[in-house]
Amino acid sequence: MEKMCKLRPQLRYLLKKRREAQIPWYPKHFTLPHPKYWDMGFITYDVNKYTPRQMVIIPMVLLAISLVILGYTMATTGMPVQPGIDFSGGTAVTIFTTATPDELKGVFSDYPLLSIGEGINNGKLLKFGPMDDTHLQALATKVSEQYPDAKIDQIGASFGKTLQEQAAIAVIFSFIGMTIVVFLAFRTFVPSGAVVLSAFADIVMTAAAMNVVGINLSLPTTAALLMLIGYSVDSDILLTMRVLKRQGKLDEKLAGAFHTGIIMTTTTIAAVGAMWVVTLLGQITTIWEIASVLLIGLFFDLINTWPTNAGIIKWYVLKRGKR
Amino acid sequence: MSKLTAILKHWQVALVLILVIGSIIAIYPHFENGQLKTNIQFGLDLQTGTWLQMEFKAEVAGFQTDKQVDQFIADLRKQLDAEVYQVADNKLEIRKDYSREDLEKAFTAAGGTLTTYEKGVSRNTADEVKRVLENKLNALGTRDARVNPLIGLNGISHYVRVELAGVSLSQAKEIVGKQGKFEIRIHTTGNQTDHVLYGDSITSVGVPSHEPAGSTTWGVSFTLSDDGSTKFQQAAIAAGAVNDPEKHYLDMLLDEKVVYSAPLSADLASSLVREPVRQLYASTGAGDSGLEAARNLEVHLRAGALPVDVAVSGSGFVPAALSDYFKVMCVIAFIAAAFAVGAVIYYRYREPAIVLPMMATNLSEIVILLGIATFIQQLDLASIAGLIAVLGTGVDQLVIITDEILHEGRVPSPTLYTKRLTRALGIILISASTVVIAMLPLALMDLSTLRGFAIITILGVVIGVAITRPAYGEIIKEILSK
Repeated sequence: MEKMCKLRPQLRYLLKKRREAQIPWYPKHFTLPHPKYWDMGFITYDVNKYTPRQMVIIPMVLLAISLVILGYTMATTGMPVQPGIDFSGGTAVTIFTTATPDELKGVFSDYPLLSIGEGINNGKLLKFGPMDDTHLQALATKVSEQYPDAKIDQIGASFGKTLQEQAAIAVIFSFIGMTIVVFLAFRTFVPSGAVVLSAFADIVMTAAAMNVVGINLSLPTTAALLMLIGYSVDSDILLTMRVLKRQGKLDEKLAGAFHTGIIMTTTTIAAVGAMWVVTLLGQITTIWEIASVLLIGLFFDLINTWPTNAGIIKWYVLKRGKR
Repeated sequence: MSKLTAILKHWQVALVLILVIGSIIAIYPHFENGQLKTNIQFGLDLQTGTWLQMEFKAEVAGFQTDKQVDQFIADLRKQLDAEVYQVADNKLEIRKDYSREDLEKAFTAAGGTLTTYEKGVSRNTADEVKRVLENKLNALGTRDARVNPLIGLNGISHYVRVELAGVSLSQAKEIVGKQGKFEIRIHTTGNQTDHVLYGDSITSVGVPSHEPAGSTTWGVSFTLSDDGSTKFQQAAIAAGAVNDPEKHYLDMLLDEKVVYSAPLSADLASSLVREPVRQLYASTGAGDSGLEAARNLEVHLRAGALPVDVAVSGSGFVPAALSDYFKVMCVIAFIAAAFAVGAVIYYRYREPAIVLPMMATNLSEIVILLGIATFIQQLDLASIAGLIAVLGTGVDQLVIITDEILHEGRVPSPTLYTKRLTRALGIILISASTVVIAMLPLALMDLSTLRGFAIITILGVVIGVAITRPAYGEIIKEILSK
């Protein structure tokens, strides 16, 4: 922290001098601030303060809890995350109306209305359970008569099941593919295993959190979970490469990787967070759901990369050093 | 200034510039009637329209039999009262909705056993359906219609997805949702009509044309099967139409509604007396109205030719007001994301000389991505989320390069610089490959709406690794060195 505060006036001064004397942009030994702590003011976490065991224990407890949550949901609904209409079948209707949810319940009392979601701009998201074709036609006609600007989406139960199977296959293949790439890249078991474990924990924790927060598993959120595989390994790979393939002291390498990695995740959180806010205000459910899942996942990624993966890598390097 | 020319001299940077300019030309933003228009194709949720997902009411079943295969299929046809075709060595396509149990019984009764059972049709049949539907839709002048059979990895297609821009849900269902039943009837006495043939006797349908060639009269030619032409001849003779065509009009009905009605022409009547005629022509009149009528008739003639029954299994509709609103919101979300990213990296580096090239590189990546997307991919809501995600990962990787190069805080010598850039690109390459691999199943599997998301993400990562990241490496080197 101190180092950095001193540097900035120095840099300003040098830049000013450059302008005056037409000297080049940077002095030869220009140093960027390189503190050990994450200095963005949100949290301070010293990646070198704890032993590997301390680093790994909390995420592992979280992972266990998450697996229990997924197992429980699986036992009660047959899927690890509550399926949305994409997978369970049903009808979703987005309308803009000033009517209250209770009034809407009255309007659609003849149909299997499951839930009414409310947003600003008077947007309402109505979810209906599966119904037969004549009911469906009647519903579609009713909706388009009363609310000409309604968005209607309907998925048949059997089609939902097909989508479900395909999505499951996609997730499994993605994960296997990622594992292969990681193992090919590092060719040593422990570091590769740590990256894969971290990605796995990321997905599991995010999926569990979806159950807790009440985000359904739909096509967009499945895509977001897959995207997390990519995001999650990003900082893990940086960490592993820096620690294993670079010369220098372990502590310094870890701190350096941490510093870069945090910024990486922060920029992504910034981009996704902005998307989240705008789509929340703007009622774009598809993107909002993707953004929510990515946001949750990125926070878990911080946990799974820095304590977990860094802890395993530290343990691995220390152990290797002893031999 | 000299710095700028030095940067531009690197071919990596020049390439990015050329691609950005090319992409802007491809996107072609321009004003039309005060509205901003571009060449970017929008998916259904960003443009008014309807999507329908339809299930094929058919099965592909594996079989084993000791009998002659042809004989077995013939027996099976009788058992099932359905069209049965051999689609592979040991696979049959049954074009009717049957449960596994029912098929098993029928297979046993026909002298064989059922080995596998899958709902859907073979790839060829799916392609045929696609062709028929496309013809039907294009002829109706639907502005933008897409028909995509979702073919599984095993080559069996269970669903076909149809997207129709500018059409309401009920219209769309009317156009494609149900299979038309086509029939030709002949007037006998008074208002009585007799059945002549069904649509299955029509083997091919031509496009609207002039007959005789060079005249102004429009019409559609169609061909009957041998069986159909015999039926046609017999019916015309039986009703007396060959002798007095004007009194015995022929009606074409689609779903019990008369879509075309006309008498036999004199020369057709006289040739029918002698022999069956396979090649027929239905004229619809002259001028634009004749052409319009001919187009509709063509669709109607084809309506009976969809080889398999379909049932709507999913559908959706986006109204015009909502799609425009979505578009505006997406642009806002994108700008907000760009600013948020810019703010974070400014906070980190506090140096415009680093932040500006970073943002410029990142945005040029998005422009190139959009430029390429105009040719190959519709943008829907999910792919726009992918686009914003690319913005996030893009900056991530630029951060890796910057930090790697500035490692230990000093601007390195050229040799060390190259070494570090290579190392940074190595890290980026691995993480990029994992993203590509993770997205590949989605891009290949055609999970309807997720495909765009996967393709945009993969494309963004590839453009980043191959084109813009190396360019950024050169830019930052020039800026940091003296």
